[in-house]
Amino acid sequence: MIERFIHALHVELPPADETAAGARERLREKFPRTAVRRMTHLGLLVGAVLDGMQLGPDDAVVYASTFAETCALEDFLSSFPTPSPLSFQTSIHPSAVQQVLIGRQQPLARLWPLAGRKRLVEHALLTALLEPAPRVALVGGEERGTWLLELGMASARSFAFAALLTMDATGAIGSVAFAPSSAADEACPDLENFAQALAARRALGWRGAGGTWSVAWR
Amino acid sequence: MRATAEHVPVGIAACDCLTSLGDATATAAALLAGRRALSLTPLLGRDGGDAVPLALLGSMDEKLPPRWLPDLRRLAAGIPAEEWGTARAPVVVTSSNFGAGSLYAFMRDRDAHHLAHGTPFATVELLRREFGWGEQVHVFSHACVTAHLGLLHAARLLHAGGAERVLAFSFDFVSPFVAGGFHSLKILNGAMPAPYAVRETGAIGLGDGTAFAVLTREVAPYRIEAHALHNEMHHFTGNRPDGAGFTTCAAAIAGAAHGRRVWVKGHGTGTLEAGRIEAEAFAREFPGAPIVSWKGSLGHTLGSCGLVELAIALAALRGAEEKIPGTVGTTGPCFADTVALEAFSAAEFDGAVLASNAFGGAHAAMLLTHD
Repeated sequence: MIERFIHALHVELPPADETAAGARERLREKFPRTAVRRMTHLGLLVGAVLDGMQLGPDDAVVYASTFAETCALEDFLSSFPTPSPLSFQTSIHPSAVQQVLIGRQQPLARLWPLAGRKRLVEHALLTALLEPAPRVALVGGEERGTWLLELGMASARSFAFAALLTMDATGAIGSVAFAPSSAADEACPDLENFAQALAARRALGWRGAGGTWSVAWR
Repeated sequence: MRATAEHVPVGIAACDCLTSLGDATATAAALLAGRRALSLTPLLGRDGGDAVPLALLGSMDEKLPPRWLPDLRRLAAGIPAEEWGTARAPVVVTSSNFGAGSLYAFMRDRDAHHLAHGTPFATVELLRREFGWGEQVHVFSHACVTAHLGLLHAARLLHAGGAERVLAFSFDFVSPFVAGGFHSLKILNGAMPAPYAVRETGAIGLGDGTAFAVLTREVAPYRIEAHALHNEMHHFTGNRPDGAGFTTCAAAIAGAAHGRRVWVKGHGTGTLEAGRIEAEAFAREFPGAPIVSWKGSLGHTLGSCGLVELAIALAALRGAEEKIPGTVGTTGPCFADTVALEAFSAAEFDGAVLASNAFGGAHAAMLLTHD
């Protein structure tokens, strides 16, 4: 069995109609004034959930997002035939995490941006459990799209979460465990449901990736 | 800052790529002959725009089904048969672009059929259907170090014990979306790239590329022994001016390569500052080791470059000539005297370091060894 222990957890589940401007106003105290103007909605939410989680140059971040920087992508596509360099660089996965960590000038050993959907949570957890770094921040999130949402190409809800995982059980608030088994895959929580389960500290369990998963709380 | 490499040795059971010069063998041969695949092409395809250096597999204009699918089918025909996409034989798909060209095509044509290939998960679902993969397909996207992440993740899956073989599969095809983006940053311009050359203005080219590798715990003649990764988080599109990011990654993989005679395949896109810092860092950490870049011919194959260039390196090592292609497109003077402009014999080496870099100051390097 592979197990990691949750030592800090922050989840952002803002109202569905929160805009990037609204998030900027609500969260501005958490960021330098010069940085906050350019941050995306997802960048602000990821910054909020990483606030207070100290990471060092030997640590790692696993970052899961199905749609990632939707609004920057919308802006970049709309900027043709004179494409915007700012929208281009901001639209590239994993910009939300980079907005935050570049703002902090915080180097990292490894950054693992995942981009799946159906088994995204499972693969992000497996990536985190296989990571040898002393501390791993498991981060995920989406931002609500506008015209891409109307086309079914974006999340309908903005949210973000961050859980700090270590190998030390002392003082942990929960755990993530994977026990190898030959059981067939079954449905895995999607990213938004996973965020909601974390927020409620609800236990989770399913089978997949050649084993049994459990998220438990103390 | 002193980082160490991660020793997760795996055998390479199969590996190939497809570039605008052909498969890995043909691409290596063309590079040895000094061929340049890049040609000046309108950056927005049929919509025109400035002529920029691109190396394409066909027209850049997006189609239905997407233009990259026939080439991916062609490459995938060479993947050894296996029940891919299971826990025992997972697939790791890496790309920085996925189907972004389809989003541009939708904006231009307003044909909603393009949207079916516009997101990473939709493109991966298409690949799963096409190639009969199961659901255990891990998807990573971290700009131009993406393929390195996929290869390290694959090695970790093997070392964790659940997986017996892992298929790493990567693809990045140029579209007006990405060409327009790099052009807006002014590094994709009307000049041909000359990696590591001291010149007035830097320039990159972009190229189509797709590649795969089947990795195994079994002993194999060619192995990926170790990986090093580092993320500066200093600037979105620039590196720390003191070169600390390059040095951290290069020093880590140098530790893993200690005692070996290696050559270096650098990132070498053709930008000036990054090219200088990279060439100097590798010259310092690997004294006397020749460094080459192939992006002056193939262009930058973006998130797939790590796997595409691994396939080319293997083809060169396995080739009858056993020669490593030089830095095509560069005539010198260069930022370091270790930059190899001409092809050289592989006979005196027993390993190679393959490095890539990405936005955010992301650095990646792997150690390739052979008998």
